[in-house]
Amino acid sequence: MAHDFVLWIVVGTALAFDFTNGFHDTANSVATSISTRALSPRLAVALAAVLNFAGAFISLEVAATIATGIVDAAVVTPAIVFAGLVGAIAWNLATWYFGLPSSSSHALIGGVVGSAFAAEGSEAVLGSGIVDKVVVPALVAPLLAFLVGGIAILVAYRIVGRQRPGPVVRGFRLGQLVSASLLALSHGTNDAQKTMGIIFLALVANGTLAADADVPTWVVISAAAAIALGTYAGGWRIIRTMGSRIIKMDPAQGFAAQGVGAAVIMAASHVGFPLSTTHVISGAIMGTGAAKRVSAVRWGVAGNIITAWVLTLPAAALAGGATYAVVAVLGTEDVGPITVSGLLLIALAIVLGRRLVGGRTLTAEG
Amino acid sequence: MVLAVELNLLWQLIWSSTLAGVGISALFSLVILSVARAGEARRAGQGGGAAAHFALAAIAFALFAAGVVLGVQTLLDK
Repeated sequence: MAHDFVLWIVVGTALAFDFTNGFHDTANSVATSISTRALSPRLAVALAAVLNFAGAFISLEVAATIATGIVDAAVVTPAIVFAGLVGAIAWNLATWYFGLPSSSSHALIGGVVGSAFAAEGSEAVLGSGIVDKVVVPALVAPLLAFLVGGIAILVAYRIVGRQRPGPVVRGFRLGQLVSASLLALSHGTNDAQKTMGIIFLALVANGTLAADADVPTWVVISAAAAIALGTYAGGWRIIRTMGSRIIKMDPAQGFAAQGVGAAVIMAASHVGFPLSTTHVISGAIMGTGAAKRVSAVRWGVAGNIITAWVLTLPAAALAGGATYAVVAVLGTEDVGPITVSGLLLIALAIVLGRRLVGGRTLTAEG
Repeated sequence: MVLAVELNLLWQLIWSSTLAGVGISALFSLVILSVARAGEARRAGQGGGAAAHFALAAIAFALFAAGVVLGVQTLLDK
C-alpha cells in the first residue's frame, strides 16, 4: 500500500491505453459500414461506442487476462505494468498516425514482455505463451478470415447476382446494421477485458487486492467508459485505410466482411482461441476483395498492414523495455513513473494537437 | 499432447468459423433474394408465388436471426 500514488498513475495509464485501444480499433466495426454508406460516420461511431460500452459488461472473466501465461506473474510490479502500457500506447499512436490497423492486444503483450524483460531478464518471459497467444493466432486469424470471407462473398454473389442492384444494395446495407453491431459488441467484450485485467494485475501487484478477489465495479465502469469514449473519438485515419484503401467495397462485400469477422471472433471465443479482432476483420476485407478479383485488393496497402502486424510485438516490446529502463534510472518507486507519465501527457497533448492538422498516411498508394 | 489439444482447437475454430461466416452471409443473401422475388411476383399479379417467396424470406430471416442470437449467447457465456 506504500506506493498508492504510483498505482493510480498505472491505473490512469491503463485507461489511457484503453482509450487508444478504442479509437485505434473503431475502424474494425465501422469502416465497412461507413465505406458502403450503410451508416453515416457519426452514427456508426456512436453505435460502436454504445455497443463497446455494453460489451465491456458482458463478461468479467479476468482469468483470461492478457498477461497470464505471457510473463511470470510473480515478478510483475506496478512499474513493469506501467512501462508495458506506455510501450503499447506508443505503438498504438504510431500505427494510428500512419493509418495502419494493427492489434492493440499484441501491442499490450509486446509492451509488457519488453518491460518485464528489461526488469528481470529473459526468465521473466514465457516463450510458449507468446507462441500460443501471439504467433499462432497472428497466422491463423487473417488467413482464416481471408478464406471464409472469400467463400462467403462468392456464395452471396451467386445467390443475389441476377437481381436488380437497388434492392440488393439496400438489403445488404440494412444487414450491415446487424453485422456492425455484432462486431462492436464482441470488440467491447474482448478488448475492455484487457484493461480490466491489467488494472487488476496492478492492484494485486501493489497489494491493494488479493489475487482471488473480484474485479471492483469502478474498474469495470472506468474501463468500459474509456474504450467507449475512445471508440466515439474515432480513429479516422485507420477507418479510411480499412474502409476504402484496401479494397473499394460494395455493400455485399461490406456485409460479408463484417459477418465473417463477427462469426470468426465469436467462434474463437466459443472454442477459447485468442484472436485479434483487427487481424480478423482486415483478413475478411482482403478476402472479400480478392474473391471478386485478385487485383481488386491494393496489395501494397495490404503489405504495409502485414508489415505493421509483424513489427507490433517487437516494436512495442522495444518501447516498453526502453520505458522501463528510463523508469529504472529515475527510480521505480515514485520518481520514475511520475516523470515518465508527465512526459507522456505532454507528448499526447502534442500528438492530439496535431491531429487536426493531419499527417501523411503511409498506406496511401502512389 | 499440447500440440494435439491446439490442433483440435484449431480444427474446431476452422469449421465453426466457416459454417457461421458462410452460413450467415448465405442466409441473409437468401432473405434479400426472396424479398426481391416476392416483390416481382406481387407486381406480376402472382399472389401465390409472392406468398411462397415471402415464406422463404421469413424462414431464412428466422435462421439468420437465430445465428445472431447464438453469437450473442456465445459472448454472454464467455
